[in-house]
Amino acid sequence: MEQTQTHKRRYGVNRWFILAFVLGSIFLAILSSLGMQALVPVRPHLQVAAENLSEKPWFTLPVIGDFYPTNTLVGIILVDLVILLIASAVRSVTRDGGLVPKGIAGAMEALLEVVYNLTESAAGKWASAIFPWFISILLLVIVANLVKLVPIFETFGYLHQAAEGHPIQLLGGNWYVLLPGNTPADEGYQIVPFFRGPSTDLNFTVSLAIISVLMTQIIGFRAQGARYLYKFFNVINIFKKPFFGFMDFLVGLLELISELAKILSFSFRLFGVMFSGVVLTALVSTMVPVFVPSLILMFEVFMAAIQAFVFGMLTMVFMAQATQGHAAEEHE
Amino acid sequence: MVGNIVDAAKFIGAGLSMIGALGAGIGIGLSVQGALEGMARNPDTYGTLLTNMILGIAFSEAIAIYCLVVAFLMLFVL
Repeated sequence: MEQTQTHKRRYGVNRWFILAFVLGSIFLAILSSLGMQALVPVRPHLQVAAENLSEKPWFTLPVIGDFYPTNTLVGIILVDLVILLIASAVRSVTRDGGLVPKGIAGAMEALLEVVYNLTESAAGKWASAIFPWFISILLLVIVANLVKLVPIFETFGYLHQAAEGHPIQLLGGNWYVLLPGNTPADEGYQIVPFFRGPSTDLNFTVSLAIISVLMTQIIGFRAQGARYLYKFFNVINIFKKPFFGFMDFLVGLLELISELAKILSFSFRLFGVMFSGVVLTALVSTMVPVFVPSLILMFEVFMAAIQAFVFGMLTMVFMAQATQGHAAEEHE
Repeated sequence: MVGNIVDAAKFIGAGLSMIGALGAGIGIGLSVQGALEGMARNPDTYGTLLTNMILGIAFSEAIAIYCLVVAFLMLFVL
C-alpha cells in the first residue's frame, strides 16, 4: 500500500519537472531571440575521428605509430565506471541472500533471464559458453551508447584556435562560451570536448567486432575440434562427387571472406548509427532548439538499445552456428 | 559562382551515395508488411513477431547506414 502511494507522489513530481523543463526551454529561446547571444546554440565542429586531448602523443610504438589520449578514451573509462557501479549495486542487494531481488538487481535479473532464454533457444547445450559473450557485449554496448546522453558530453571542453571558428564570450573566471557567427580566418575558436561517446569512435566498434568474430572461431573449434576447418576448406565431397564437391570447396573459401566481412558489417553498423545520431542531434538542435531535439534524443535512446541488442544477438547467432557445423553433410 | 570544385564534388558524391538508402527503405517496408500481415492473421504471435520485425528492420537499416557512413566520410574526412 505504501509502495503505490510513494509511486504516485513521485509521478506527480516528475510531471512538474517536465513542465518546468518545457517552460524553461521556451523562456531561454525567447531570451536568445531578444539578443542574448550566449544562449544561441552553435553548430559544433563535426569530426569522424576522436579528438586528441593533448598536442603531444602519450607514447609511440615503432610500427603502429603515435598514441594520443582521446576524448572517447575518457568516455570508455566513464562507461567502465558505470558498469562497475551497476555490478556493485547488484552485489550489495544480493549479498544478504534474499530470494526476491529489489531495485536494480531485479531489473538485471529480468534482463539476464530474457537473454539466457534467447541463447538457450538458439544454442542449446552450448548456451552456457555463449551466454557470457552475449550479455557482456550487450551491457557494454548499451551503456556506451547511452552515456552520450549525459548533458556535458560533446559540448564541454577546452577551446583552441581553428581556421573556421566562432567568437567567444567570457563568462567569468577562466570559462568561456562560444557565440554564433563567423570570425576572420584563424581568429575564431572551436571546442575540443573532454567527453565523447565511445561508440562514435571506429576503434571501439572495430575492436569489439574483432573480439566477437575471433571468439566465434574459438567456440567453433571447441565445439567441433579440427572438423571446424571443413567449414572453410570443404574437402569432404571433392573426390566422391567431382563437380559438386568442387563447388562446395569454392563456397567454403567464400566463407573465409564472409568472416572478414562480418568484422566490417559489425563495426560499421554500430559506428554509423551512433555517429549519425550525433550529427542529427547537432544539426536539429542548432536549427530548432526548442522541444524538437527531445524527440530526436528519444529516437536515439531507442536506436542505442536496438543496436546493442543487435550486436549481441548477431554474435550469439554466429556462435551458435559455429557450434553446429556441417553435421548433415558428414552423414552422406 | 565562385567556389572549390573539389568541395562541390564531395557534396555531389555524398548525395549520390545516399541512393543506396532506397533499397533499405524498400526492405524495411516489406518486412513490416510481412509482420503486420502475420499479426493481423494471428494476433497471439504479436510479441515474437514484433521483436523479429525490429531485428529485421535493424539489419536492413544497416545497409542504409553503410551509405550514411560513406557520405560522412566524404563530407568530414576526405
